[in-house]
This record gives sequence, C-alpha cells and structure tokens, in this order.
Amino acid sequence: MDSTSTPSAAEPGSQTAPSQLQFTGNAKEYFGIWIVNILLTLLTLGIYSAWATVRTRQYFYGHTVLDGHRFDYLATPIQILKGRLLAVGLFVIYSVVSGYFPLVGAMMAFALVFLVPWMINQGLKFSMRMTRYRNIRFAFKGNLGEAMVNFVVLPFVSIFTLYLLMPWVLKRIDAYIHSNIRYGDKPVQVQLEGKEYYVAALLVILLGILVMMLLGLAFSLVGGININPDELGTVNFGVFLIVPLYLFVISALQGIYQAQIRNHILNNAQIEDVAEFESNLAPQRYALILATNAAAIVLTAGLAFPWAKVRKVKALAGATQVMLLPGADQVLDNAQQADSSFAEEAANVFDVDISLT
Amino acid sequence: MIKGYFYLPNSSRVQQSYARLSGERIAIYVDDECVCESMQTALNVAAHLPGQASELNFADGARFVPHDVAYRWPFQQRKSGLLARLESNLVLILCALFATPVLLYALLFKLVPSIAVTAVKAMPDVVVEQMGQQSMVLIERTMLSPSELSAQEQQAVFTLWHDTVSQLGLSAERYRIDVYRSDHFGANAFALPHGQVVVTDELARRLADHPDALRAILLHEIGHVERMHSVRLASQAAVASIAIAMLLGDMDIVAEVVLGSGSALMDLQFSQNMEWEADNYALMQLERLGYSGEDFAQALESLVPLDEAQSQSWLKYLSTHPSLQERIEHARNHTTP
Repeated sequence: MDSTSTPSAAEPGSQTAPSQLQFTGNAKEYFGIWIVNILLTLLTLGIYSAWATVRTRQYFYGHTVLDGHRFDYLATPIQILKGRLLAVGLFVIYSVVSGYFPLVGAMMAFALVFLVPWMINQGLKFSMRMTRYRNIRFAFKGNLGEAMVNFVVLPFVSIFTLYLLMPWVLKRIDAYIHSNIRYGDKPVQVQLEGKEYYVAALLVILLGILVMMLLGLAFSLVGGININPDELGTVNFGVFLIVPLYLFVISALQGIYQAQIRNHILNNAQIEDVAEFESNLAPQRYALILATNAAAIVLTAGLAFPWAKVRKVKALAGATQVMLLPGADQVLDNAQQADSSFAEEAANVFDVDISLT
Repeated sequence: MIKGYFYLPNSSRVQQSYARLSGERIAIYVDDECVCESMQTALNVAAHLPGQASELNFADGARFVPHDVAYRWPFQQRKSGLLARLESNLVLILCALFATPVLLYALLFKLVPSIAVTAVKAMPDVVVEQMGQQSMVLIERTMLSPSELSAQEQQAVFTLWHDTVSQLGLSAERYRIDVYRSDHFGANAFALPHGQVVVTDELARRLADHPDALRAILLHEIGHVERMHSVRLASQAAVASIAIAMLLGDMDIVAEVVLGSGSALMDLQFSQNMEWEADNYALMQLERLGYSGEDFAQALESLVPLDEAQSQSWLKYLSTHPSLQERIEHARNHTTP
C-alpha cells in the first residue's frame, strides 16, 4: 500500500524522473461502498444518491496518487443534492410535457440545444473546482461563445459534410476543454492534431463494419435461430444474446478510440514549468479490458461493476506518467468564487469526462 | 508522533512533518520547528474512506495527511467513521445484496405503476385532449399521407363507424375516424387518447368484404380509448423515467443499458396487458351488439398473412401485440355464457 514518496518540497531538488500515476484502491473496498450506496439510495428514493456520488468520487480521487500525494474531491453532498433536485425537477417537467404534449416537448428539446453549451461549461467549472492536488484546486475558464461554436454550431455544420468534419470537430472540442483548464494560476497547454482523430475514427469505423459483417455471417450460418414471434414470453433468449454482444463490441470499439485519443492528448499537454504528461495506453489492451468488463457486468447482473471500474481505473493510471518540473512547488491558488452544482448535474448527462483516471 | 505531509494554505508547497498530540492541542513540526498549532476542537477531520489516511484540515486552509493510510485520530467525531463501518460490514453487504433486487423490483414494478395510475385518475380532460391532438399532428406529419381510397370505399368505413359508435351510445363528437395511407403502419388501425381513430388504406381494403371484422377491430381501438391506455402508458413512461433519473447517481453506460432494457420490458408487459384489455372490451361490446367472437377471430385471421411476411425480421420478436394465434383462440373461446 505504501506509495513511493519522493523528496519533498522542503528539500529543493528538481525532479527529472517521471512519476508514475498510481491507483491504490481495490475492488473489495469499493464493492462495499458501491452496494451500500445502492441500498441507501433505494431506501431513500434517490436522496442518498448525492452522498453516494461524493463518497464514490472521494474514494477514487483519494486513491489516485501522484508523487506520494493524493487527489481530493471537495464537493459536498448538499451541493450535489441541490443540483440533482433541480435537474430532476426539470426532467420531470420535460417528461410530463413530452408525454402529454408532444409538440411542446419537441420545442423544449429544441430550446435545450442552446442550453447545452452553458451547462457543459458550468459542469466543467464545478468539477474542476472540486478537484484538488497538493492544496491547489483546478479551474476551468471556458467561455460561452466558444462552447456554443464547438458543441453546437460545428457538430451541426458537420452533418452537412456527411460527418466528414466530425473528427476535426472532436479535436476542436478536446482542445477547447483541455486548454481552458488551470491548475491554480497555471494554464494547461495542448497541441492537438486533427490527423490523429481521423486515424482513430477511421480505424474504429472500419473495425465496426468488419465486426458487423462477421456477426451477420455468423448469424446467417447459425441459420435463422428462427425466432418466432408467437413464442414471445416477456423475455426472449434473443435479448440475452444480442444485448451482451452489442455491449461487448461497442465497449471494445470505444476502448480503441479512447485509448488513442487519450494518448494523443496527454502526450501533447503540459502545464508550463509545472508538469508534462505521458500516456502509453495500448489500444488493443484497453479495448479488451472495456469489452471484458462489459461482459462481466452483464453476466453477473451488475455485481461485477465495482471490480470492472477499479480494473479500468488501474489500467488508466498504470499507463500514465507525469514529469513534475521545478515550478510544481510554486503554484498559487487564486481565489475561487462559488458556483452552482445544478449545472454540473445537468452536464453529467453529457458525460464530459476529463479526470486523469 | 505521527509522520505525514504538511500542505501550506493556497500553495502547492508540501513539507515532510510530524504531528504531536498533547491534551486538547495538536502541533505540527517541520525539522523540530513548530509550524502550526491548533485546538483539536477547531480542526476538521475528513471523512473516513477505506485505505485512505485521515487528514486534518486547519482553519487557515493548511492540511496534515499522515503517511500511514490506516491511521485514525483519537479525537474524531464518532459519526465520521459510521459509513466506513457500514461499508465494510459483511452482514450488511450480504443483506444489501438480497435487498437491492427486491427493492428495485418493488420500485419499478409496483410503486411506479401505482403512481402512474393515480396520475391517470387525476388527469383533467383538457390534458387528454391536448395530448391526443398534438400526437395526431406529429404522426400525421411524419407517418401518414392522404388516403388513396375512393370516396365510396372511405364512406363504407365512415358509415360502419357511425353506426357502431351510436349503437354503443358513445359521443359522436368525441369519437372521430379518419382514413390515411401509411407505408409506416401497413395494414393497421390505431387510436389516440382523445378519441381519434385512424384506419390505414391497406387495412380498409383488406377488410372491405368483412365489415364485421372491421367492426371488431374498431371496437378494439375504442377499447384503448375507453380504458385510457395511451394516458396510462405516457404516465407510466414519465414516472419510470423520473424514478430512473432519481436512482442513477453516476453510473456508466452499462448500468444505463441494463436499467433501460428493464424499463422497456416493463412497458412491453404493460402494453401487452392493454392489448388484452382492448380485446376483451371489443368482445364484450360485440356481444352487446349481437355479434360473436367469431367475427373478431376472422378479422384477426385476415391479418395473419401480413404478419408472417414481417416475421422474417428478427426484431419482430419484441412486437408489442400478443401473438395473433393466441388472440384468435381467445376470441373464439369468448362465448356467451
């Protein structure tokens, strides 16, 4: 369990060797947290989910160790709960309206498109401000105009290019997110290349087509497991075959794409005079991890979730090195003003994930 | 003497240090020099997490984190360790393993439907009317095109409809029928919650020589309206999605797929029951009008060839209707006592 502690700031001596990012948690501990979280969430009809979120994040952040120091998650359950209640309230209104007044619902959905960039920004601001390393909080400085361009305008435009622009748009989005992160008063810099995104996207699309063809072939060979609609109970074995298979393939493809992009971003990101990053996550290995994780979760009716999550995070941390530069000891925290977590909750829907692990 | 890191306020500087407890006070030393001192009561001890050292937060923002991850301070609040104790308690974990599926089932399959039913009962007519009209606008724009049947063929349907509605003593104002061409629906009929029924060209043509069969199908659709099925489905879907939104703290894609398919199955079961309810309504009214279940059985039989053409696609197994064969038998067995 003991983490490698390196010479501390008290003994100035700039470090040259990169530090390995470590994850020191384990599946057994997290399983207990996870199952108790679920039980209490069900018993409190969802109220406890805010505590559950904080507890889970604290566990994962606190077990992510760099250079002997752990990360901290600082949000309080009440902040999350307020946001969640607001988000659920909005969602209630939306589902009721779209269920009973489909036209009004459609208009609401349209209006939502314009809220999305704001929510993503707010969500990033919140989650960055709630992340701390060595008494310095992270921050996010994105502005609404740029978010609007990157999250709404460009994806919309790319539709008319038959999505040919999409990888470039994804590059823009990643560049926007990462170059607006601050560690205390130090900005993160990234230099991303569209080419990498095109290579990753092309690879995933070609693999996807190949897998579909193979599956189609396999299905036709097995020769119409002649699924008869007349034998329909509420459950059909076809579902048990299709859903896990679908998840398995999707997870594998996700793994390949994510690994390549993550390597590209981290290898081309640095915080001037503070840190340089290095990521060597093998795409095929990460794909296998995600795919087997998905399969394990489905086959164990969800019980393998904690094990799967810990396994994934360990793999990510294991593939990450950080070169701490002399300036790492002189970062100052600029004052942070409070912000709403409502937006974070809402933005969680869009799953903008930028944590190190 | 407890060894650990001392983090200075608002700075990334860290110092190797050790903490000394003496009575009510605690002092942090770096190289035998005291850098920070505080009453134990003025400190905040962070929440316990398994495998993580318990850190001290000083009032000025400085922090002390012991090197020993298992270290626990003697003066912490009792409750800070409660969750950690629960989470490592084997008996509780086992109980949770059994209780979770039971609770999930109770919530999704018992509580949600009962809330939905309550919501339906409290539903004002205005809402039902709006819901129907707006759905009609959407469906008409996206899936229907003007009928290509001759005026005569259409009139046959209208006449049959008006006769049936007036014989049942239902409001002719509320119950309207229209004929549309639809490639999307094929030979089909559907009803919207405010009493609007739509029959497709293909179905009207197929049943042109079986007016009794068409009547049976129209009655089935009226049954959907009378039993408020669409309203119930909408309420069910809304309540279920709210419940799921409440429960999903931060799970990932897999959990969403599992829960999502669970709620889809729930909807499926729900609408299956509704089809039977509508069939029973139709059979009951047919008897009132002096017809037999045989007409209904015939109507369904004329749909069989179509159904077989579609069952090629394997997606069909999630069809929302009970199997035709079952329904035909059900209709034949529905004899007047």
